[in-house]
Amino acid sequence: MDLDKLRETAAEVAGRDDVKYLIGWKKGSYGYRIAPAFVEDAEAAAELIFSPLCTANLATYLTLVEKLPLPRGQEPDDRKVALMVKGCDSRAVAQLLAEKGIHRDEVVVIGCPCPGMVDPDLLAEKYPETEEPAELKWSDDGFVIVRDGEETAVPRDELLAEKCRLCRYPNPVVNDIMLDDPVETWEPAEDEGVTEIEEKEVDGRWAYWQEQFSNCIRCYSCRNVCPLCYCQDCILDRLNPTWVNRSVNFPENTAFNIARAFHLAGRCIECGECERVCPANIPLGKLNRKMAREIRDKYGFEPGLEPEGEPFQASYKPDDPEDFIL
Amino acid sequence: MSANFEPNIVAFLCNWCSYAGADLAGTSRVQYPSNVQIIRVMCTGRVNPLYVVNALQQGADGVLVSGCHPGDCHYMEGNYFARRRLGMLKDLLEFAGVDPRRFHMSWVSASEGHKWKEVVEKTVEDTREAGPFEGFRRRQIDW
Amino acid sequence: MSAMLLNKEKWPDFVGKLTGKKLWAPQGEGEEMRFAPVAEGEAPALEYGNTRVPPKQVVFPQTETMFRFQLGGEEVEVPEPEEETVLLGVRPCDARSMAIVDNLFGWEEDDPYYFKRRELVTLVGLACSEPGLNCFCTSVGGGPASTEGLDLLMTDLGEHYFLEAVTKKGEALLKEAGDLLEEAGEDKVKEKDKIIEESAGKIKRSVDHEGVPEGLPGLWEDPLWQRVSASCLGCGTCTYLCPTCHCFDIQDEVEGFDARRCRMWDSCMFGEYTLHTSGHNPRPTRRERTRNRINHKYSYFVDKFDVIACVGCGRCINLCPVNIDIVEILRQVKEAL
Repeated sequence: MDLDKLRETAAEVAGRDDVKYLIGWKKGSYGYRIAPAFVEDAEAAAELIFSPLCTANLATYLTLVEKLPLPRGQEPDDRKVALMVKGCDSRAVAQLLAEKGIHRDEVVVIGCPCPGMVDPDLLAEKYPETEEPAELKWSDDGFVIVRDGEETAVPRDELLAEKCRLCRYPNPVVNDIMLDDPVETWEPAEDEGVTEIEEKEVDGRWAYWQEQFSNCIRCYSCRNVCPLCYCQDCILDRLNPTWVNRSVNFPENTAFNIARAFHLAGRCIECGECERVCPANIPLGKLNRKMAREIRDKYGFEPGLEPEGEPFQASYKPDDPEDFIL
Repeated sequence: MSANFEPNIVAFLCNWCSYAGADLAGTSRVQYPSNVQIIRVMCTGRVNPLYVVNALQQGADGVLVSGCHPGDCHYMEGNYFARRRLGMLKDLLEFAGVDPRRFHMSWVSASEGHKWKEVVEKTVEDTREAGPFEGFRRRQIDW
Repeated sequence: MSAMLLNKEKWPDFVGKLTGKKLWAPQGEGEEMRFAPVAEGEAPALEYGNTRVPPKQVVFPQTETMFRFQLGGEEVEVPEPEEETVLLGVRPCDARSMAIVDNLFGWEEDDPYYFKRRELVTLVGLACSEPGLNCFCTSVGGGPASTEGLDLLMTDLGEHYFLEAVTKKGEALLKEAGDLLEEAGEDKVKEKDKIIEESAGKIKRSVDHEGVPEGLPGLWEDPLWQRVSASCLGCGTCTYLCPTCHCFDIQDEVEGFDARRCRMWDSCMFGEYTLHTSGHNPRPTRRERTRNRINHKYSYFVDKFDVIACVGCGRCINLCPVNIDIVEILRQVKEAL
């Protein structure tokens, strides 16, 4: 990825009259962190980067922005939002479009074909971070870590994030501008995390999830970071009726996570953000990936590929599987 | 578990087919287990899968959802949506560690009083085997 | 107060002397450490940076039953914590945070739930010899060996723990340990001082809050709030993992005829935190909520209790999913002033 081209394009798009701001990635405040950047001019655009650290899915900001009632006489700011997306992020945009969560003319999609991101926890474990912001680059067979002036080459398999191992769509599926040539797709790995749980007996599965959800602190990071969780009034926060009590214990935590996983069935685009942001390191992604796998196998459907497609839970086929029905 | 365990089953029945079918079983004096608490909904398409989760949270040991046969839905397509959604819910619950014997779905038409009896018997037996539901049943846990 | 030495080989015996009390210590692996009860007979190995979830959960549990009742009944049952608890290996910043939060829960009237637990807790601290990447305790009134809030402070000298009693409770612990302990000679005191000094020197980040508590209200409409909150997700991670954050919600829960009223952690960063029944929300966007959080910690709390409600533990910086950095925010605040 040519960073100069990226920054020039970003500056140009952000400077357009019909664009409110552009959302991209910039270096964080220390170590390997990356922060989302909201760019409105060329000066801010000069800070944008695209590196193996840019795991954050920026599509969540399309729906996170609050729309307040305006004072009389003030017109709403209808300008577009420009968004930089990787393959997985673009699927979130496509799914939002299919669900009519956003309109096509509200967003300018800038596609960044993605060779794969590093797992930030693995990275920090093997190559401890310092307070100086570090840089990462892609190389032909892996990654190059640049810390304090020194370069360390690392093979791809050592640090590649799990979600990238399983990735089927590294190239953006929807875009207005493409910043680079498409990358070569790779054979997605077998999802061992999900298979491992599938192979357990029912009691073993429950024991596993009980342990995991006992650690949940109900911070709602998973829900808030998810680009497809954008209900203004989340049903799981409601009090009358109370679907999930606000008290934090493993039955309520389990109910919360199961309900959320169900609401995302057929919509989750497997960007892995929920797992990345969880402060209790709960492997939430497994629930969503299992659903995605079942839906792929049984219904032949994959969300986030057709901006004009039909949402999964709001449609049906006359010959849907019904082997479970008495 | 003890042989005396009587499971609590909550059933969501669609008004036009399954509820009528259950009613027919009653008027025909068909004998079937009394463990089922029936909640009448107008159509299975109206059954929010979270009702199933909520029933389990609130003390049900098993849940049954029953509706019209495909093609016979009073509202044309409700049961098709239900088939999709509840099929996925069953997979999700199973993956999360809830015994698959606790959740059943069936097509029972208004004239199938005897099928209703069989469906209930199967549901009750399966749930009895699975035992009392602990899982994510609501508990007032003290820290 | 006295200072003693404990040979690390005698650590399990020292822990064993604390019978009759519930022991909590950091447990778990690597990043996932949290304070948890110690199993009988086990001696926790205190090799860790800091836990993800601060030990505030011991005096301020995430979910606490206030009272139980029966629907249609007439009596109310108030659970009383009775067990004495010893927290082993608390970092000075976390202990200091409890002393800070004491102000809040003791404001005008003592919160009985909080103080009952607080009285039953003994805090045994472990001084920091290796501060974390994002620690900045020294610039907000703390330090790697700050004793504020602690009953006993331990410093790791390699083969020994240097123990200093801070309060009577700490003295009592030392007395109980009796002949497990040795006198700490001048050279050990010097060694300890050197470790602490070096440790403080390793702290790289700092916050300049000169003039900030007074100046913050004047920055109400400053564009910096929009800038720093644009990427905020409105989740509760920073507040839940902050040792000084103390907001809570109160809900009633009913199960059949059994009911209880409980309080649980709440976060000012949630959208519905200030949502009124009418639908109006005085802090409708993340901008207002971020502004409120910083103002609360660095200005309003100072107004009321003369202390900044931030101990520099760095957890919010480490765990914010979108890298919102409080040190960076304060740098921008100082610039705007």
